[in-house]
Amino acid sequence: MSVQKSTVEFNDKVVRQFLLASVIWGAVGMLVGVLIAAQLNFWQLNFNTSFLTWSHLRPLHTNAVIFALVGNMMFAGVYYSTQRLVKARLASDFLSQFHFWGWQAIIVSAACTLPFGFTRGQEYAELIWPINLAVVVMWVVFAVNFFWTLAKRNEPSLYVAIWFYIATIVTVAMLYIVNHLAIPTSWTHSYSLFGGVQNALVQWWYGHNAVAFFLTTPILGIMYYFLPKAAGRPVYSYKLSVVHFWSLVFVYIWAGPHHLLNTSLPGWLQDLGMTFSLMLWAPSWGGMLNGLLTLRGGWDKLRTDPVIKFFAAGVTFYGMSTFEGPLLAIKSVNALAHYTDWIIAHVHGGTLGWNGFMAAGMIYWLIPRLWSKPLHSTALANLHFWVGLVGILLYVGAMWASGITQGLMLNATSEHGTVLTYPNFLDTVNAIRPLMLMRVIGGALYLAGWFLMAYNLWKSISGAKPVNGTIEVFAEEPAHQAPGSLSIAGWVLNPPVVFSVLGIGFACAWMFGGHFLSIAGLVGTMFCAVVAFSHFEAKRKSWGDWYDRLLVSAVPFTVLTFLAVVAGGLIQIIPTIVIHKAANVEDRRQIPYTPLELAGRDLYVREGCYLCHSQMIRTLVPDVLRYGDYSRLGESIYDHPFQWGSKRNGPDLARVGGKYPNVWHLRHMENPRSISTGSNMPNFAWLLSNKLDVSTLPRKIAVQRQLGVPYPQWTDAEIAASVDDQQKKIAKDLRDSGAYVDSDREIVALIAYLQQLGHYEKVVPTGTAPTLAD
Amino acid sequence: MNQNTPTPPSEEALRPHSYDGIQEYDKRLPNWWLFTFYATIAFWVGYWGYYEWLRAGPSNRQRIEKAMAAIEAEKLAATASTKLDNSSLWEMSRNPVFVEAGKATFNSICATCHKESLRGVADGGIGANLMTQTWIHGGNPMDLYNTVTNGVLVKGMPAWGPVLGQKRIIEAVAYVLSHHHEGEPMSIVSTPAAK
Repeated sequence: MSVQKSTVEFNDKVVRQFLLASVIWGAVGMLVGVLIAAQLNFWQLNFNTSFLTWSHLRPLHTNAVIFALVGNMMFAGVYYSTQRLVKARLASDFLSQFHFWGWQAIIVSAACTLPFGFTRGQEYAELIWPINLAVVVMWVVFAVNFFWTLAKRNEPSLYVAIWFYIATIVTVAMLYIVNHLAIPTSWTHSYSLFGGVQNALVQWWYGHNAVAFFLTTPILGIMYYFLPKAAGRPVYSYKLSVVHFWSLVFVYIWAGPHHLLNTSLPGWLQDLGMTFSLMLWAPSWGGMLNGLLTLRGGWDKLRTDPVIKFFAAGVTFYGMSTFEGPLLAIKSVNALAHYTDWIIAHVHGGTLGWNGFMAAGMIYWLIPRLWSKPLHSTALANLHFWVGLVGILLYVGAMWASGITQGLMLNATSEHGTVLTYPNFLDTVNAIRPLMLMRVIGGALYLAGWFLMAYNLWKSISGAKPVNGTIEVFAEEPAHQAPGSLSIAGWVLNPPVVFSVLGIGFACAWMFGGHFLSIAGLVGTMFCAVVAFSHFEAKRKSWGDWYDRLLVSAVPFTVLTFLAVVAGGLIQIIPTIVIHKAANVEDRRQIPYTPLELAGRDLYVREGCYLCHSQMIRTLVPDVLRYGDYSRLGESIYDHPFQWGSKRNGPDLARVGGKYPNVWHLRHMENPRSISTGSNMPNFAWLLSNKLDVSTLPRKIAVQRQLGVPYPQWTDAEIAASVDDQQKKIAKDLRDSGAYVDSDREIVALIAYLQQLGHYEKVVPTGTAPTLAD
Repeated sequence: MNQNTPTPPSEEALRPHSYDGIQEYDKRLPNWWLFTFYATIAFWVGYWGYYEWLRAGPSNRQRIEKAMAAIEAEKLAATASTKLDNSSLWEMSRNPVFVEAGKATFNSICATCHKESLRGVADGGIGANLMTQTWIHGGNPMDLYNTVTNGVLVKGMPAWGPVLGQKRIIEAVAYVLSHHHEGEPMSIVSTPAAK
C-alpha cells in the first residue's frame, strides 16, 4: 500500500473577496436602513424624489442586508470552512471567480432597479425576472462548486457544518425557483404564476424559509466551524447536533403560514403554521445550546477576545429570536403583534444580533488568517462590540415598546367593546414617534460599529500580504476507508429512514384522511413512535453506525435532506394550487380589474404601497371595526401578485374603494399632510405629472388571461377605448371637485384602482365541491 | 461548571474523529430540552385534534361572526335606550361636555375634509362648509346625525357609524350645532356651495 503525501493550497482568494464584499455591501445596506428609519419620522427626508422615497428604498435595504451582507458573508464562511473540513481545495478556480463576480453583478443590478420601481411586489422577492434568472444561475454555480469539492474530498466523513451547508444549497434553490415562477410581460415586468391566496401561501413559504435557510442554517454551519475553532474547545454534543439538524430542517418548512394568521388563508394551514412554529422552538435551541455550551471552560476568553464576545452574543440573540418566533406564531399573540413594529424588533434581533454579530466574529477571526498581519486593534474590535450591542438593545427595545403600544392602541375598544378607542390611525402612529426616533439612534450606533470594523479591517490589511492556507494530505488509495459508504438499499432501507417515513405518513393520514383513515393514521403514528423508540433503545449502536456510514455518503445525505425539506411544502402547497380557484371560493369572488384599474394596480406595486398598507382585514374585531367586513379569500383571487402586505405603517386598504371621493385621493397622493394632519407618508406628487404608459396593457392583459383571469378577448383598440373612457370619467369628476389634472396621468389610473378595492360579486355556493377554505 | 452530568470532565468521552482539529463530545440531550420538544409535539396533536380533527373549536370565521353579532346587539340595545331627536340634539349642543368631546372628535376625524374652522371648501378643504345656513343633505339635527352615521357615498361623505360609534357621532353633531342656533333660517342645495 503506497501512501502519497501531497500539499493542498486552499483557494482563500475567493474567501477574501467575499469577506470584503460583505463588509462593504453591509455598510451600504445598513446605511439605507438608517435612512428609511429616519424617513418614518421625518417625511421631508424622502426629498420628494421617487428613487429616494421610503417605499422604493425599503426593498433595497432588505435585499442588500440579506443577499449582499449575509450572502457574501455566508459564501466566505462556507468556502473557507468547507475546504478545511474536507481537506481539499475548491474544485474550480473559474467557478469560484464566476460565483464572486456574478453575485456582485446581481447586487449592483438590484441597486440599479429597485429604487426605480422595477419590482415584483413580493417581499425579499422583489427583483425582476431577468435578475431572478441570474440568481438561479449563480446559485447553481455555487452548488456545483461546492458539491464538486465534496466529490474531491480527502476527508470521507462530513462534519455537521457541511450538513447545514448542504441543507442551505438544496432548499434555497427549491424555494427561490418556485416562488419566482412568473410570466414576463416585458423585459422588466412579469406577473407571478400564483395569484391571491396561492401566491400568499407560496410567498410566505419562501419568505419564512429564506430566513430559515439563508439567514439561519448557513450561519449555524459557520458557527459549528468557527466557534469551536475560536474557543479551542470541542463541540458540546454530537448527538444534539444530529437531532437538532434533522428536526430543524424538517419542521422549519411547515411554519410559513404563521405569517398569515387570522387572515383569509384556510384555517388548516394557519393551524399547521402555528403548531409547527411551536415545534420549531426546541430544534432551534438545540443549535443555541451546542454553541453556548461549547464555550464551557472557555468563558475566560469572553473578557479578552472580541471574537468570542461576538459569537457568544450572536448565539444568545439567536436563542432569543427563536424563542420570540414561536411566541409570535401563537394566534392570539399574533393578533396583537402582526403588522406592528414588534415584528420589526423580532427580525432585527435576528439580523443585527445573530447575523451581524456572527459575521463580525467570523471576520475578526479570519483577518489575521487570510492576511499576513495580526488584527490592527483588538481594542477597536471590543469597542465595535459594545457600540453594536448598545445599538441592538436600543433598536430592539424601542421596537418592542413601539409595536406593543401601537398594537394595543389599534385594538383598544370602548363602550362595551363596540367602538374603537382610537378611530384615527394617525393617533397610533404619532404615539410611537419617540420610539421610532430611538430606533434610528440604535440603528445608527450599530452602523457606527460596523464602520469601526471596516476601518480596523482596512488598517489590518493595508500593506499586508494575502496568505493562503495549506494542508498536507496523505492520499491512501482509494479514498474510501471504513466505515464504508452506503448502497442505495442501505440508505433507504434502514430503521431511521423507514420509521421517519412511516411515522410522517401515518401522521398525514391522521391529519388529512377521512374518518377511518384518520383514526388508522393516529393509531399508526403512535404505534410507529413506540416501535421506533424501543428499536432505538435496543439497537443504539446500529443506528449510530448507520449514521456514521451516511456521513461518508454525500449524495444519499443530500437526497435525504432534500426529502426532509420538500415534505412540508408539498403538503401545504399542492392542495391549494390544484383546486380550481375561481369556482371554489367561499361566498365572494373578485371582479376582474378594468384595463385602467390594472394599470393603476401595477403603479401601486411599482410605488411599493404594499410595504406600508395591507389589503387584508383579519377575522378580528378591531380590524373589522376599523376597516370593514373581514376579507374573504375569493376577493383577491385574481391578484398577481397578491398584495396582502405584512406591515401597517398606514391603515389597511382592502375596502378603501368608494370610502373617499376621487379628489381626496388626488390631494392625498400629492401631499398626504394636506388631508391627514401629522401623516408620515411620503408625497407621491410625480404621479400627477407622469404620463401613464398604456402601451404594455394588451400584453399584460393577455398574460393575465393565460394566468386564469377571465378577461374577454379584447382587441387593442377595445382596451384603449376602455382606458380612455374611464380616464375621462375620473378626470371629469376631479374637475367638478376643483382639481385639474390631465386624464392621461398616472394618478388617474391609481385612483381608478384604489376606488374599486373591496368590490366583489356574490357567489352562490355550489354545494359539494371542495373549496379553498376547507 | 454548567454540566448536569455526574461524570467529571476528565471522563467526558470525545468522539474519535476530528475535523480540521475540531473535536466533538457526545453528551446526552438535556432532559429539559427533550421535554420542551415533546411538549410542543403533544401540543400540536392536541391543537390539531381539537380544531381540525374533531372540529370542536370555532373556526376564525365562526368566531368573528359571533363577536360582530354580539357587538351589533350591544349597539341596538344602546340605541333603543337613547332618546334621540332634534330637540335633544339641540340640547346637547348647548352642553359643554358634549361640545368639548365633539370638538376633539371633529378635529381628529372630520377636519380632514371640513377643516377645523368647519368652513370646508371655503377654507381649502374638500368637504362641505358647515358654517353657513346652506345644507346639502338637510340641516336639521337629525339630518346631520343621519348623514354622519350613514354617509353619502356619492358625495364623498363616508359612513362613520361603524367606525366612530353613536356616542361620538352625537357629540360631533352637537359640536357642529354649537355653531348654529335653533330656529335659524336654512336652505338646501343639491351641490356644494362654490368657493
